[in-house]
Amino acid sequence: MKKLIALLLAALMVLSLAACGGSSAPAAEAPAAEAPAADAPAADAPAEEAPAAAATELTLWTYPIGNWGNSDTVDALMADFEAATGIKVTVEYLDYTSGDDQVNSALEGDAAPDLIMEGPERLVANWGAKGYMVDIADLWDDTDKAEVNAACVSACFTEDGACYEYPVVMTAHCMAINYDAFVEAGADQYVDLESHTWTTEQFIQAVKALYDHYGDTVAAVFCGGQGGDQGTRALVNNLYGGTFTNAEHTAYTADSEENIKALELLQGMDGISFDASIVGGDEIALFYQEVLKMAFCWNIAQQLNPNSAGTGEELTLNGQKIEFMSFPSETGESKLQGGIWGFGIFDKGDAAKIEAAKTFIKYFCDGEGTEAAVKAANYFAVRDTAEGIDLSGIWADNAIMNEYNKLMPYLGDYYQVTTNWAVARTEWWNMLQRIGTGGDVATEVATFVANANAAA
Amino acid sequence: MRASRPGMSRALVRRETIAGYLFLLPSLFFFLVFVIYPMFMCIYTSFFDSNMGKDAVDMFIGLGNYKELFQDKIFLGALKNTAIIVLVSVPTVCAFSLWVSSAIYNMKPVFTSAFRCIFYLPVVTGSVAVTVVWKWMYNNYYGIFNYLGKSVGLIDSNINWLGDPKYALWCIILILFTTSVGQPIVLYVSALGNVDQTLVEAAEVDGATKTQVFWKIKWAQIMPTTLYILIITTINSFQCFALIQLLTSGGPSHSTDTVMYYIYYTAFKLYRYGYGNAMGVVLMVIIAILSAIQYKLGQTDS
Repeated sequence: MKKLIALLLAALMVLSLAACGGSSAPAAEAPAAEAPAADAPAADAPAEEAPAAAATELTLWTYPIGNWGNSDTVDALMADFEAATGIKVTVEYLDYTSGDDQVNSALEGDAAPDLIMEGPERLVANWGAKGYMVDIADLWDDTDKAEVNAACVSACFTEDGACYEYPVVMTAHCMAINYDAFVEAGADQYVDLESHTWTTEQFIQAVKALYDHYGDTVAAVFCGGQGGDQGTRALVNNLYGGTFTNAEHTAYTADSEENIKALELLQGMDGISFDASIVGGDEIALFYQEVLKMAFCWNIAQQLNPNSAGTGEELTLNGQKIEFMSFPSETGESKLQGGIWGFGIFDKGDAAKIEAAKTFIKYFCDGEGTEAAVKAANYFAVRDTAEGIDLSGIWADNAIMNEYNKLMPYLGDYYQVTTNWAVARTEWWNMLQRIGTGGDVATEVATFVANANAAA
Repeated sequence: MRASRPGMSRALVRRETIAGYLFLLPSLFFFLVFVIYPMFMCIYTSFFDSNMGKDAVDMFIGLGNYKELFQDKIFLGALKNTAIIVLVSVPTVCAFSLWVSSAIYNMKPVFTSAFRCIFYLPVVTGSVAVTVVWKWMYNNYYGIFNYLGKSVGLIDSNINWLGDPKYALWCIILILFTTSVGQPIVLYVSALGNVDQTLVEAAEVDGATKTQVFWKIKWAQIMPTTLYILIITTINSFQCFALIQLLTSGGPSHSTDTVMYYIYYTAFKLYRYGYGNAMGVVLMVIIAILSAIQYKLGQTDS
């Protein structure tokens, strides 16, 4: 009996070793199989590889961009795509807490997906800059460049002309107020609901009125992590007209006089707290629960479905009215942080897969699947037409989306593609924490800029 | 193996030896692949300036990462926080579990089992679920600690437990404590139940007090269990990571950074693999030295 078990274990070991050895065998053969393609002219290679026997299956990893994080919606989209092209797509869903770590681990372990859906700050400035993405500039012709929003085109291309993301949707991030609470505190006089804008002075007066009425924190500069940090950056930058980076996206400029003034204002305001125990998602929940009267982490997706709770458009937990607002600025005309989302392809050295992935991108970003892709995301299309299909009326029947369109002209510079963005982003919330615990604003901002620029 | 079987034929000994090693082989394979090889790679990479990037080339920098470590204020702060966690957590966990076990081990079996279940529950509950509940309790705006504190007049206004550097680390230690006592209690209950009753009775007949019986008879017999608990709790405290990542991300102002979390932060947020591995090596050396000391002291005492 013992002998038998020993033999079985030995056999198991041999199988394990064989299995391990087996995995490296195809890898060893792969370069040889690809060699002719490497020798062939680059432009011809995909076409020659195309007999897509090996490229009928793709993997897509997607962050929760509207309903692109919802498997029912995405399954339907993928079924339509498979019916149209014969390519089956397996989807894995990431979240913003651990998604980056998953992707980074996969990249280091040669287990990355074929396609990924997110924004240029990850696809272009991070993974693209590190050499992991396929240059998909060949998917763009002059018509595409003319049709797609210029800021989106600029964000998806690098300075040397490479493109690591094809955008499909965009939005402007904004903030929100609990309008009923504003009315109760007499702060509604400071907001203009026609234009959804306000000045810095009006913001200061509104916070004062709310604090006088409620006697507690009415808004939080959340800094427990990077989640939703676009809101705190936009708040600080807009109050006195500061910028986060220079126009060339080569250096971080958060130490400007305007930014220091804004941070000092927020640090000294009653009713505003720097809260290192929450991130953007927590702030949204607190706002939804009516604990906070303002939220700095907001956009159209939240306006349509606050806190993703499914309890009614533009309403808090107990039915109070939510109004979206532009960030306050001295003139009232702020520069809003843009959100751009699209697809990129990881370079795994398989020309056939890359070609199939390009078919996927063409289908959803500039083809028959674009309208469905945009609707699934619950954001605005980056173009008005896609291969002759009119996209301008996608949200014509949605009053909230139409109203939100008023903010789109305030879309500001998409600076998230500045070199080593990931490091600067981490430094930002660490800096806010230090300011929140009484750190000297000028000193802390200087530290932030030094660390971020050292990385850049 | 051979020496212990004097009467066996050579062929039989060889067969048994081979069988023994074959039984060991699967575990050995996984141990080599998932423990020894990563450990070697960790030490090796710590001598390189290794960063993320498809075409990034690792550059040999010798002890550069180690030199930088001891000038890195955040790492030194993380080391200090880790030391605080270990120094507070290990004695309190051991003392508390010994106290609880002493109180429950000779109760009626049903009560002993009930208490064991209660204390073991946080261990088997997923760390994410435990963390979410604690996060609610610590919440700055509607948490139960602030509610109770204000209700009984202990505090005037809400305390941002996890957002204030004065309290954040202690909040983490409290959670760590509740999730760490379960296993030691189960082990101590079992060890106390196995104490040789004849020795206890003999001591009592000789007029020993309960305290004397505990320290002179029982304590000596549960020393191997104590040693195991000390080592395991020390290692767990050194490796405190999930709580930090889920609750504070090392903040506010790095006040809850631990070496484990800083390794993750350096490797996965700053993409400095070599530097992160150097920290891992330092942590490994510290844990190995402390475990060896504990083991030695435990052996001497027993």
